[in-house]
Amino acid sequence: MKRFKPTLSHLSRRTFLQATAALGGASALGLRSSYAQEPEKPAEIIVRAWGGSWVDSLKAGVSDSFTKMTGIAVRHDLTEDNEIQPKVWAAVAQNRVPPIHINWDTTTNATKSALRGVTEDLSDLPNLANVTDLAKPAGLEGFPIVNTYGYVYVLAYRPAAFPDGPPKSWKDLLDPKFKGRLAFYNDGIGFHFPAQVAGGGKLEDIPGNMQPAWDFITKMKTQQPLLGEDPDFTTWFQNGEIDAACTISTNAREARKNGVKIEWVVPEEGAKFDTDGLWIPKGLPENELYWAKQYINHALTKEAQQVWLDGLGLPGVVPGLTPPKDLVGDPSYPTTEADFQRLIRISSKIQVENESEWFSKFKAIMQG
Amino acid sequence: MRAARTAYPLKWRIMDALEGIAAAIWPARFRRATPYLMLLPAVLLVGLLVLGLIQIADASLRTLDTTTFQFSDDYSIANFRRALTEPLFLVVAQRSLVAALIVTAVTLVFAFPYAYLMVRTRSPRLRKFLLIALFLPFFIGQVVRAYGWLIILGNQGMVNEALGLIGVAPMRLIYNYPAVLFGLVQYMLPFAVLMLAPALTAIPEELEAAAGSLGANWVRTFIHVVLPLARPGFIGAGVVVLTLSLTDFAVPAILGGGSQDFIANAIYDQFFRTSDQGLGATLALMLVALGSILVGLVFALFGAGTLAMGRSRA
Repeated sequence: MKRFKPTLSHLSRRTFLQATAALGGASALGLRSSYAQEPEKPAEIIVRAWGGSWVDSLKAGVSDSFTKMTGIAVRHDLTEDNEIQPKVWAAVAQNRVPPIHINWDTTTNATKSALRGVTEDLSDLPNLANVTDLAKPAGLEGFPIVNTYGYVYVLAYRPAAFPDGPPKSWKDLLDPKFKGRLAFYNDGIGFHFPAQVAGGGKLEDIPGNMQPAWDFITKMKTQQPLLGEDPDFTTWFQNGEIDAACTISTNAREARKNGVKIEWVVPEEGAKFDTDGLWIPKGLPENELYWAKQYINHALTKEAQQVWLDGLGLPGVVPGLTPPKDLVGDPSYPTTEADFQRLIRISSKIQVENESEWFSKFKAIMQG
Repeated sequence: MRAARTAYPLKWRIMDALEGIAAAIWPARFRRATPYLMLLPAVLLVGLLVLGLIQIADASLRTLDTTTFQFSDDYSIANFRRALTEPLFLVVAQRSLVAALIVTAVTLVFAFPYAYLMVRTRSPRLRKFLLIALFLPFFIGQVVRAYGWLIILGNQGMVNEALGLIGVAPMRLIYNYPAVLFGLVQYMLPFAVLMLAPALTAIPEELEAAAGSLGANWVRTFIHVVLPLARPGFIGAGVVVLTLSLTDFAVPAILGGGSQDFIANAIYDQFFRTSDQGLGATLALMLVALGSILVGLVFALFGAGTLAMGRSRA
């Protein structure tokens, strides 16, 4: 599926296609060379990324090999995804060059930027021909974002706190012995949808009727959970502050790598499945736009995905990737249709349009 | 003949030239306006803040369309209605205000004896120690200090480990409201001491000696002489601590465990989490208004204290 971005001139489209085809071929052959049609290379490209093991994995899997292949240095900007967004929006609105070339973003956040019209179209990336449906952002025209992997908000727990076996349901967390020993994201992300099921509601009722979710979250509030961001979960598990959390499996896996005894499950009500992606803000000089696209195109190769996502422990969008040994058959690494049936997916469009209200509602309950 | 050059050295000539340039730029007839010229940097700074406030006011009147993530062209008071009716914002505002008042009161109580001892001690060594202890926290940022408390008060922190030695099970000492208040008091203490110290220095020691010689004991001297004369310091310190506490972000975010947000945290959420800059701007304006009203009340009731630079009613 290749479509052209209407704002690009015919010449630049043609140049882009010729050069990407050449580079794609070179990449496949493992060659490092330059081409007459290639636009001028910038000294560096800036990729916004999350810190810790997230950026380490991106560097090992995508950035280093991109630099080796093209000679262009990659600088990782660790500004929070939420904080870079208004800066990019302001830059585009004022016709300034945006502060980054590529934003590694949650699909929900990226969808907001796409709806606002600040994203470049990526439909002409050659490697999109080799990706699964997961790469396509649902509910959006073309490819303003390319999803690069999926992740699951699992129920992570310390086995010592569950001597009778792993928790089977999110309701198990209501046991009084876990009072003050639980953690959720501070806006409730990842927990709204399982809470809807655990509260006796239906996923089909989202967003129309989410009262069951709010009722269940209100019950959970009596457990006085901690509320935080990604790095907090790893720290809290390591410092023995919590026994269980609703968090992305990558954070739990990171804590386990650091020596914390931790396991995770997808409870019977299900767990939220979501995606992250890469996108390019509008307003870049044409040559930089070209190389930014090449970076994303490279991130969609099997070789780059394998190393990058081994580090994150997440399933990618290129067929044939080998799961890390510790995640074979793991519910947080879905590969089969049966795996996905246990997970909850709600379209980005619904999430984006209602997220503000859901966050406010969750906060109102937890802060009350 | 080199004598003439010696009689009128080069640097004088340079000074003459500079004076000439200054006179051309700022003629003598403008001399009465010179003091106002000195105010120019401050006026520019305040002007920039006012410009920012005007932009925030403009944003506060625009609502977010979540289908396009663009703001409305029309003005409306929808954001203000939300801010005043949604329980979340009322809870957060109330929590911030109550915390600011508690922190101000507790900080002043702790800061006063520290400042008094620092000003009155006859031991230069003790004074130096107190000064160093006062300034040391300024070299350590607020965030680092808050994280320090996590290490000390966490489940596996020093305090819980010490309690464990006498058989007490680990208890949750952080991630709650008292922990936020504690962190704020610790952060505000140096500010309060620095504001109180000049006021205490200005109280002549002879007045305390005179009260003693007239039969007043230490307590009566303290209540009837020291405290009233220290009032400008209390007001100045109180206003600074009150406004800083009311608008604090980092301490509630780090020591509150995510469930003890202040208004600043709610503003952050709107700007950066839900992308609703209109509502964020509304909350920011309301925070500015709340702080201004509180400071105005203090000034109206008690004067400006040390902030009046010697012109207070006290």
